[in-house]
Amino acid sequence: MSTSFAPVTESLIRHRGVLGAMVVGLDDGLIVHSTLQIGVNGNAFAALTASLYRKARRSSNAAGFGASSFLELTAEQGRVCTAGGKELVLVVVCETRVNVGLLRVELLRAAEQLP
Amino acid sequence: MKLSVVAPWVESPLKQFVDDARVEIAVLMHPSGQVLGQYGFARSVDVMTACALASAIHASSSELGRQLEGQPFLALHYTGRERQIFLGGILAHGRTLVLLAVFDAESSLGLVQLFLEEFKARLSAAPPPPIAEQASALSENFERDLNRNLAQLFGRA
Repeated sequence: MSTSFAPVTESLIRHRGVLGAMVVGLDDGLIVHSTLQIGVNGNAFAALTASLYRKARRSSNAAGFGASSFLELTAEQGRVCTAGGKELVLVVVCETRVNVGLLRVELLRAAEQLP
Repeated sequence: MKLSVVAPWVESPLKQFVDDARVEIAVLMHPSGQVLGQYGFARSVDVMTACALASAIHASSSELGRQLEGQPFLALHYTGRERQIFLGGILAHGRTLVLLAVFDAESSLGLVQLFLEEFKARLSAAPPPPIAEQASALSENFERDLNRNLAQLFGRA
């Protein structure tokens, strides 16, 4: 099903090394819209990353740094990048070879459109 | 808060679910309302009330599903001001059980649903319950069994 978020996720998944892009509810961790390659467990990424982002935001606020804008998790075989609004977050799952700088710019730009 | 179980085969899966999903309360029960294990309640009367209400809600929503779609609804989620409840049926060892989970902003519906799938898999992989435990919970001994289960949970057996 196509939603108004389809252009956002479809633009993100065109980057080399991106395996999936999702718009996720920040409070419930459920997928609002996703464009995923076969084999990516979107529901698990969505729920866990939204939880991580909520906690990162609380940590940032507690430290007096203000709202967090971008979260990147780097693992041995991949990365998860997240940027968000107050209600929705963009979650991008990618391989390590992805151009993080470019992805970050596009992710932050796309996140500005989120409620 | 202590996890307590009547049926030992549900202990490990229930503990893992509580730890992973970060829920405040979790109660696993038969659809009749007989408790198998619980985490989060300190008084037996609270467990009894929660089980009775959850059982009634599950029965009502299952019947609504049957009326509307020809099969019972799988789960129910309700959002309160600070807390949320999730009530879902679980098929394990050929019978349906009901899980009631209460959670706050530390968790989310997505996390509960995610770890519910793992909980189902762990329950199915656990050794099957003894034959006596598989007997219908709706019998003339219901009240006696209910009281015995609650006494076991709260160390009065």
